[in-house]
Amino acid sequence: MIDIRRSGELISRARTYAQLSQAELAAKAGTSQPSIARLEQPGSNPTISTLVRSAAAAGYAITVQLIPLAPSDPVVELYKRDVDRTLLRENLRKSYEDRLSSLGEWQESMREIALATRKRTVKP
Amino acid sequence: MTQLEQLLGVLVDADVQFIIVGGVAARAHGSSRITDDLDVSYARDRANLDRIVSALAPFSPYLRGAPPGLPFDWSAATLRAGLNFTLTTTIGAIDFLGEITGGGGYGELLPHAISITVFGRDVLLLDLPWLIRVKRAAGRPKDLEVIAELEALKEEIDSAE
Repeated sequence: MIDIRRSGELISRARTYAQLSQAELAAKAGTSQPSIARLEQPGSNPTISTLVRSAAAAGYAITVQLIPLAPSDPVVELYKRDVDRTLLRENLRKSYEDRLSSLGEWQESMREIALATRKRTVKP
Repeated sequence: MTQLEQLLGVLVDADVQFIIVGGVAARAHGSSRITDDLDVSYARDRANLDRIVSALAPFSPYLRGAPPGLPFDWSAATLRAGLNFTLTTTIGAIDFLGEITGGGGYGELLPHAISITVFGRDVLLLDLPWLIRVKRAAGRPKDLEVIAELEALKEEIDSAE
């Protein structure tokens, strides 16, 4: 299930399931590889007919479903006030790889700090 | 190369069927939190269990928190007999989750996974709405701050679209 506002992901997923490259899907859908790449980009806003045509080229149909919105949790709402959204916006500008690379680098740094702290606190 | 990159590389190169969930998934979606372990939902068919065992065997997998010296047989039979495994390895901590509260097993999560390319490899990542959903379903007080951040993240993404 994908939020309809992120519909480009549907095509990426259908293409992955069908084990097609972007160029192969483009050929089947009668379009170009850059068009498929743009379609799959976060924030793309394709028409329904483009989505249906592209999914069909990968061998899939698209259905739409109404689901009730989850009720908000008052405690979560309170915590949300303190979320530093500047960090989130900064992260959202990065690629998936950059986000995970920085996590890996942070993990390494934290391990070094923990090790140094342990050494410092061990009595001779 | 970081441990996270190594862990993902080892799993992908061995064709292990898995979906990144938990803190690393949150980070991939844009969370600012740091996590020490890689949580993955894994397919429990025999072939996949064999692949997991072969992939991690060179990295001394052991039950995290278990006393040193406790006999632990790293085998497909052990994985088959259990469900969720929290492990240490020489390339980092990894949790293999056979089922997730509110999300189910690998097969049930698969329709809610997105494919991303990181470190030159394609991996599956639980999508943000379902990450929020399973965190909510877990009902753990410690997750409330995490859920707040993930929901804020979703609001940021939605407002940008």
